[in-house]
Amino acid sequence: MSTIEMPLVLFSVLSQTAIGLVVINSCRQWAADGPAKTDRGQWGIVLAFLITGMAASFFHLGHPLQAYTALKHLGKAWLSWELLGISVFLCLTLLGFFMVKGKNARLVTTLTALVGVLTLLFMGMTYAPPGYPAVNNVLPLVFFLITALLLGTGFSAWVAPSAAKPWLTRILTVTLIVGVIVYLIVPCIWLSGGTSMAQTGWTWFASPLYWGRVAVGLVLPLAVLWRIKDIPLWLPVLILLGELMGRAAFFRDTVHAAANIGGLQ
Amino acid sequence: MNNHKEENFMTTTNNAAEVQPGSCPLSRRNFVKGLLAAGLVANLPCGLLRPLQSEAGEIVYGGDYETFRNACPRNCYDTCSIKTFVKDGVVQFIEGATESTFTRGGLCVKGYGYTRRPYSPDRIKYPMVQEGRGSGNWKRVSWNEAMERIAKKILEIQDKDGSLLGMALSKYSGNFGITNYGVEGMMSSLGYTTRLTGTPCWPAGIDAQNFDMGDMWCNDPEDMVNARYVILWGGNAAWNSVHSVKYVYEAQRRGAKIVVIDPLLTQQAAKADEYWQIRTSTDGALALGMARHILDAKLYDRDWVMANSIGFEEFADYLRGNITVEWAAKESGIPAANIIALAEEFATAKPATIWLGYGLQRHVNGGATVRAIDALVAMTGNVGKIGGGARYGHLRTWGFNYHALLQKQPEGAKGVPGKAEVKGDFHFAGGDDAAALSYSDRSLNINKTAQVILDTDDPPIRMLWVACKNPFSQDFDRNKMIKAFEKLEMVVTVDQFFNETVAMSDIVLPVTTLFEEWTINASYWHYWLSINERAIQPMYEAKSDIQIAATLSNTMNELRPGSCTFPTEIDSREWMIKEFNQGIYDLFGISSWEDLKNGPAKAKMHPASWHDLKFGTPSGKYEFKSELAEQWGNKALPEYVAPRKQNNKYRLLTPHTKFGLHSQFVNLDWSEEFYPEPFVYIHPDMAAEKDIKDGDVVRIFNSIGEVTTTAKLSTVVPADAILMYEAWFKNNPYNVQNVVDDTSSDMGAYKTGQPGVAIHDQFADVAKV
Amino acid sequence: MKKQYAFFIDAERCIGCFTCAMACKNQYHQPEKVIWRQVYPLDEEIYPYTERAFYSLACNHCENPTCLNVCPVKAYYKREDGVVVHEQEKCIGCGNCIRSCPYGAPRYNPEVKKAEKCSFCWQRIDAGLKPQCVQSCPVEALQIVDLATFDKPGAVQYPPGFPKYPKLNPSVRFVLPRLPKIIGREDI
Repeated sequence: MSTIEMPLVLFSVLSQTAIGLVVINSCRQWAADGPAKTDRGQWGIVLAFLITGMAASFFHLGHPLQAYTALKHLGKAWLSWELLGISVFLCLTLLGFFMVKGKNARLVTTLTALVGVLTLLFMGMTYAPPGYPAVNNVLPLVFFLITALLLGTGFSAWVAPSAAKPWLTRILTVTLIVGVIVYLIVPCIWLSGGTSMAQTGWTWFASPLYWGRVAVGLVLPLAVLWRIKDIPLWLPVLILLGELMGRAAFFRDTVHAAANIGGLQ
Repeated sequence: MNNHKEENFMTTTNNAAEVQPGSCPLSRRNFVKGLLAAGLVANLPCGLLRPLQSEAGEIVYGGDYETFRNACPRNCYDTCSIKTFVKDGVVQFIEGATESTFTRGGLCVKGYGYTRRPYSPDRIKYPMVQEGRGSGNWKRVSWNEAMERIAKKILEIQDKDGSLLGMALSKYSGNFGITNYGVEGMMSSLGYTTRLTGTPCWPAGIDAQNFDMGDMWCNDPEDMVNARYVILWGGNAAWNSVHSVKYVYEAQRRGAKIVVIDPLLTQQAAKADEYWQIRTSTDGALALGMARHILDAKLYDRDWVMANSIGFEEFADYLRGNITVEWAAKESGIPAANIIALAEEFATAKPATIWLGYGLQRHVNGGATVRAIDALVAMTGNVGKIGGGARYGHLRTWGFNYHALLQKQPEGAKGVPGKAEVKGDFHFAGGDDAAALSYSDRSLNINKTAQVILDTDDPPIRMLWVACKNPFSQDFDRNKMIKAFEKLEMVVTVDQFFNETVAMSDIVLPVTTLFEEWTINASYWHYWLSINERAIQPMYEAKSDIQIAATLSNTMNELRPGSCTFPTEIDSREWMIKEFNQGIYDLFGISSWEDLKNGPAKAKMHPASWHDLKFGTPSGKYEFKSELAEQWGNKALPEYVAPRKQNNKYRLLTPHTKFGLHSQFVNLDWSEEFYPEPFVYIHPDMAAEKDIKDGDVVRIFNSIGEVTTTAKLSTVVPADAILMYEAWFKNNPYNVQNVVDDTSSDMGAYKTGQPGVAIHDQFADVAKV
Repeated sequence: MKKQYAFFIDAERCIGCFTCAMACKNQYHQPEKVIWRQVYPLDEEIYPYTERAFYSLACNHCENPTCLNVCPVKAYYKREDGVVVHEQEKCIGCGNCIRSCPYGAPRYNPEVKKAEKCSFCWQRIDAGLKPQCVQSCPVEALQIVDLATFDKPGAVQYPPGFPKYPKLNPSVRFVLPRLPKIIGREDI
């Protein structure tokens, strides 16, 4: 069993929430009726999640004051791109926050959203190293997209105009259903893989964190949405709790390839 | 590998003066910084932060290390020659000496732990006294106070009993440095004392080899490469003599067949061409069965036997009248067809050799077993041949002066009346001193330490000095030992760590590690000699055994002049030098002990023992029939002796672990990384019967006591045996001596003074907790 | 082929004595749990007797090392002779290499809060000496070879029990352990 890596849990979930918020925001602006009604509040919540997440990430480093040197390896390292991406995303978010009344607001939102999606891709690559066979593939990206959409939609409900609520509810419901399917199927598929992959499947299935994330973060919210057909204020908090548990399981319960050296792979 | 580069940058200094204790333990950052400072920085152009190619010799070995020669003084076949690299008065790292073809540049998992050992945070630093044995209530005292307490007790015993027979010594193989015999010397210098003599290690086999050939004398292990057939019988070289394995491999590469005969599928067994899983303690039967077939098939070397032995006809008659291959098969569990095939292979391979392990003879019939196997080697004409021989051990390279050992009793000392020869496997003292003729030390069986402490009277054993030994971890029947210690009025232990015996002592004295003392080391297996230099100042207040003796003598003579003849001030280096003599110089082809500072030296001995076929027996020949054996209570011929009767459900085997040497090493934090906890190994069939799963906590128990530990299922152990490795884990009560009793083996008294002990003739049951 | 130093692990000769593991610790004094070289026993599924066959593994100095690839501060570089060096001064302790290497070579050193791994004793190599682990092996089961010229018959790169990552192309070669002919007891 690895460690929970709490700083990384917080960083990834919260920054992905921020990205999701901007993406949903941008989609809403394009899809919704007429010119966008964006206010500082919507950027503010993005900044809140983003800055909290980035602050948490410093606690992960042995030498946080040298964090800026992590931009050095754009030639090969996805982690450098992740840092670049999240930094540019931060700059654009700040830009958006200050330019919210300007006429290029929608453009900035879109650009920020695109950078955010790219950053999601960089994160997906970063957290899919060869050392963890079960997730050395597109799965982290899939998990992160789901995180971004779930929490982006959920927390958008806090700040979006009420006219957007039904639209948000629909997206959230669909994403929850996709999430339930993905999170139930994936460990099952792992069970038929090699030793480290199969062990990951069994560890996830035996993990209260995993079942917590499914129950609290996916099934329960689905049930609520099915009943109420709206996003109550406390719902995204529940989903966030589920996401945090799920991310903790992702770090703690995914089995490293080196754990099985000496046994059949 | 280019050693010359190394030498150019080395300086060797002698630390002659005994000064203040050493400096802070090494931290790795400093070490790495040192490496970097030594060479990297000089190489780097600004802005380019790494060296692509460093100049040879500039880094790591650049000039700053002092090198010293050391040797591992443990009870191990390999007795490695060590090269020690010191900087800033701290041991930075060590390597095996490359000059020794036996050590060949590498040590073992235990030896490399020496780099940590002097600096281990739990090392005993000062003399300490314990208020209440076993309480852990330790208080630091000065050397003066410790010595006063001890001296006063010694004088009290002297006054009460009129002799020092109430003071006993428990010492064996924790440190085989030649100057460490100064402990025995110290005891002699105090008076006539009680000595726990004999050896738990190899006594039955020593007697057997003495009865057969007149001495224990093995070939140079490096000549094993010349064998065409090698049987490793009851010994696990891969764990207990790792440096010998390369010779077995080389013999194998040259076409020799390697056979391992052992009740367990040991690591050595896994590397054999053929492994025989024999029923424990039936090795004598198997050997005799082989001998019978070799006799019938007329494959024995008749010429050799006629020219060099006596008693073969009687042996042949015995075989014909009492031994059959089928019987041997039934006794040993080995199929008759295999016995026949191997006997023929062994007899026709020239030369063939058998390496008799020490576990082989730790049985009630151990001596008889060794005699039977010796007979196999002799009747096939393999004794006295390069690549041949019945290999067991030797002491041919141990002819030192024993200056530290040979001290005189004080004037007027009394002991056991009459001259008794104190014998032991490593007792080299001649000592035909007229003054010593009227009294002698009292010799008691070291293998029954607990029992003799309980039983001995007139006078009873009041005080125990423990050095180079750990009775609670190494001696048998631990529960009895606890009772025995209750009788002791004072226990003084000299050691480096708070092990089980220290925990049950009144006073502990901190002793030096190999890096902190001067001594000499020979091997009982290979033919090399090493010097052991003081590489660092003794840490904290540690003293070597002879320094402790001198310190005690000082206090003794202050309290009562003349009560101890040990010199009160000694120069350790001088005492090391005093052990050398011309015989040693000639044997090793060196002009002075200083030659050894350049590396170990090898004895100029013929590689084959008994090459001149002049045996040390009364007849001067190999004695299949030995009257001497008969005089000592055994059969004259190597007849079969039955194994010990089983007194519990399963046989219990407690051999050594590769990670430790008895109670040394496994307790170090470096060792804990790789070997953190003990297990008991049982066969899956036995486990199934008892509903035990891998990882369950179980107890192993018999009439002596019990052990609780975690079970591992394994097929290396037969289904009717339980396997636990003997070791001391820090902060762990695991101790196999809880279930091992002190039953004697059949031989040992002749040459080593006491019978041996049947360590592997133990039985127990196991149950889930 | 370009020069590539590699470890050759002769599991047939290896007696699992852990000398190599402790020799490394003796040279570099790593703190607890920061193990550069580990000796892995083979499962019963691979070698049917427990703790009787082993692979001694450290860093495999891969041809395409993932540690080097994923390190955001370029703290790793690969030498001309193939050795992959970690420059600890540059490391910020992000743990990416530790998570990335499927062989578990880099470890986190909590005292300096940085990663570190087997250096192939490159300073010793440059001084004309063998790595400490290689020199220490009593049976020459662990050797340093150059893959450009290595041609031991029967050697493999991915024996059972060793993770297969052709994209990384670890610079190690193995000879598999063998079983003796076993004569068991007839009475049990």
